[in-house]
Amino acid sequence: MQPRWQLLPAPGPGGPRPTAPMLALLLLLALQGAAAAPAGSAGSTGSEHSGWRQDAELQSGLLQQAARAALHFFNFRAGSPSALRVVSAVQQGRAWVNSKKERKVDLVFTTERYNPEEGEERLGKCSARVFFRNEKPRPAINVTCTRFVEKSKRQQEDYLLYKHMKQLKTPLEVVSIPDSHGHIDPSLRPIWELAFLGGSYVMWEKTTQFSHYYMAQLSSLKQWKTNDNAIDFDYTVLLHEFPTQEIIPCRIHLVWYPGKPLKVKYHCHGLQTPEEASGIEEGSAVAPTELSNF
Amino acid sequence: MTFPTSCSMRGLLILSVLLGAVLGKEDFVGHQVLRISAADEAQVQKVTELEYLEHLQLDFWRGPAQPDSPIDVRVPFSSVQAVKVFLEAHGIDYTIMIEDLQSLLDEEQEQMFAFQARASSTDTFSYATYHPLDEIYGFMDMLVAEHPQLVSKLKIGSTYEGRPIYVLKFSTGGNNRPAIWIDTGIHSREWVTQASGIWFAKKITQDYGQDPALTSILDNMDIFLEIVTNPDGFVFTHTKNRLWRKTRSITPGSSCIGVDPNRNWDAGFGKAGASNNPCSETYHGKFANSETEVKSIVDFVKSHGNIKAFISIHSYSQLLLYPYGYTTDPAPDHNELDELAKSAVTALASLYGTKFKYGSIIKAIYRASGGTIDWTYNQGIKYSYTFELRDTGRYGFLLPASQIIPTAQETWLALKTIMEHTMNHPY
Repeated sequence: MQPRWQLLPAPGPGGPRPTAPMLALLLLLALQGAAAAPAGSAGSTGSEHSGWRQDAELQSGLLQQAARAALHFFNFRAGSPSALRVVSAVQQGRAWVNSKKERKVDLVFTTERYNPEEGEERLGKCSARVFFRNEKPRPAINVTCTRFVEKSKRQQEDYLLYKHMKQLKTPLEVVSIPDSHGHIDPSLRPIWELAFLGGSYVMWEKTTQFSHYYMAQLSSLKQWKTNDNAIDFDYTVLLHEFPTQEIIPCRIHLVWYPGKPLKVKYHCHGLQTPEEASGIEEGSAVAPTELSNF
Repeated sequence: MTFPTSCSMRGLLILSVLLGAVLGKEDFVGHQVLRISAADEAQVQKVTELEYLEHLQLDFWRGPAQPDSPIDVRVPFSSVQAVKVFLEAHGIDYTIMIEDLQSLLDEEQEQMFAFQARASSTDTFSYATYHPLDEIYGFMDMLVAEHPQLVSKLKIGSTYEGRPIYVLKFSTGGNNRPAIWIDTGIHSREWVTQASGIWFAKKITQDYGQDPALTSILDNMDIFLEIVTNPDGFVFTHTKNRLWRKTRSITPGSSCIGVDPNRNWDAGFGKAGASNNPCSETYHGKFANSETEVKSIVDFVKSHGNIKAFISIHSYSQLLLYPYGYTTDPAPDHNELDELAKSAVTALASLYGTKFKYGSIIKAIYRASGGTIDWTYNQGIKYSYTFELRDTGRYGFLLPASQIIPTAQETWLALKTIMEHTMNHPY
C-alpha cells in the first residue's frame, strides 16, 4: 500500500517532494509504534490504524499545530537552554481522525536555532507523531530530531550558561524581558533562554488541536538559592494564545542543573473565570519549600 | 536593589530618586551607596544596629535580611566616614557601588533628556526605534511641512479618550482620484506596524520623482496612510500595558475595557469568530462601528467613494490575507486576489528571504468576524488585504527595533506590487 502523502501548499513554485530517505524515515516512524500515547489512542504498529481513518480534509494549520507542539515537547525533554529550537517549515505530513474526533498526525519538519548565532543558517530536521485529543490539551508526542549541535558543544554551552547564572547576584530580581522595544540585554539572555525552556513545558501542556502559544514576555523573575547548586527560578511569563489572542500569565517554578532533567511546576491564570491549569512534571521532586504558597 | 545594566531599570531607579530629590528638595552630593556583605547572622545584626542610629540618616535600598543577601545603603556624605569605620572595625565586607550619587544622577538626567531629544526634521528622525504617540504626531507635522505639495494631514475623527485621529494624504493633484488606503497600528501592541507606517510615509516622499513605479502610482492615484489607527490603545501600551490590543472604550455593565477594533466592522458582525465577552481580546463591541476609531474610517471611506485598494497592517505571523474571515464562502474575486497575493509575497521575500504564507483569512489564520477587510471588500473595494508582519513567534509583538527597517523595506515591496496592480487594473 503506497502511502498517500499530503504535500504542503507552499507559496511560490512547487513544493517539497518526498525523497527516498524521507520516506524511509517516515516508514520507520510508522513501524515504531506508539510512544508517549495516552490510553485511548490507537497505539498501533504499521498500518493497523484501527478506528482511524485518513483525514481527507487535512488543513495545513493542523500540521503547523503539530510541529509547534512537537517542538515544545522536544525542547522541554532535551532540557538544554542553549539548544532551543523553533519550527522552520513543515515539509510533509498526514493525519488520521477517529470517531472521537481525535487526530493523529505524522509529520516531518525543519527547525532553526531559537537563538541563532551570527550568520548561522543551519537547519535541523525532526519527524514526529502527535496525538491531539480533540479539544483537550497536552497532546501525546513522539518526536525525533537530527542532532544539529554537537553533544559536547551543547553540554559546554549549557555549562557556560549555568556558570553565568550562578555568577549573577542572588537573589536576582528581574522584570520585563524583553523590554518594550524587544531588547534583551546580552547578560540577561541566558535567563530568557532558561525561562523559555520552562515555558516550553507549559506551552506543550496547554496546546490543543485548536490553540497554540508563543511566549511573549518574561514579566517577573526571582532566583532562589539551592543547596545543591541547581538553578532555581520562580517567574512569570506572558503567553500569547491563538486564536483567542489572549495574554495568559503563567507562574512557573523550575529547577535546572545542566544535564539533568528539568523540573517544572506552573500555574496559569484564565480569562475572567479563573481556569486554574497547573501541572507537575511526572516523577519530579517538589521544589524548595520557599514556594509552598504557590 | 541590584544595578542591572538595562537602561530602563536604571532609569526607573534614578527617576524615583530624582523624584524624591525634587519633592524633598534634597541633593545627593557626596552621598555614597554601599553594598554590604554580611557573612553571618552576627554581622547582619551589626548592620541592623546601624539602621537604628537615626543621626546617620541612612537610607537602606535593600535592608539587612539573611547572610549572603546583599545590603544596599545610601549614606549621606556626613556619615560616610563613620559608617566605613564601623564596618571595618567589625570586619564586615563592603564595596562602594556609587561613589557620588549626585554626579550619577546628573549624568543620567542628561542621558534621559538626550534620548528624548526631538528630531528637528524627518531626516534626523530615528526610524530604527519605537516612538511614542506625540513623537509620531510630531513626525507627521514635520513631513507635511517639508513636503507641502505632496503631503497633507487630515483629521478624520477623535478617539474614545478624545485624541485626534490623523490620516496622511499623499497626492499630486487631481480631484478625488482613485485611492489606496493603508492603515497600521489598529491593534496597538503591534508596534512594528506603526513604526513601519512612519517609514512608509518617509519613503513615499523620498521616492516620488525618483522611483518610476511609485511616481507613476502617485501621478494617477492618491495614497492615504493612517499610521496610528488606535491612538488610545497605543498610549496605553507605552504607559501601562505593552501588550494591550483593543481600544480603551468603557463597556457599560462591565469592569473590562476595550473593544477589538478588528471585530467591530459591519461584516458578519457578532457571528462566530469574535467574542461577546467584554473581557475578551476579541470582544466585538455592543454593535458594529460602536468604536469611534472604526466609525471614523467607515465614514471616511464612504464619503470618499473612490478607494480602490484597502490594506490593513497587523503583526505578527508573516501572512498576507484577503477576505473572508467570517465565512468559508470564497470571495468572488478569490482567484485574482490569490494571484496578486502570491506576487506580493514573492516581491517581499526577494529582499531578505522572509517567507510569508497567503490565503483567505479563514483558511490561512482562523475564523474572524467583523473584520476590516471583509467590510471594505463588501463595500466594493476589490483589493482588500490584511498583512501580518514579522515575526512568526520568536519575539512576536516585542520585535526588536533593529528589525523595524528591514520589515518596513520588505513590506513596502509587497505594497508596491499591490498598488501597481490596482493602478493597472482599474474597475
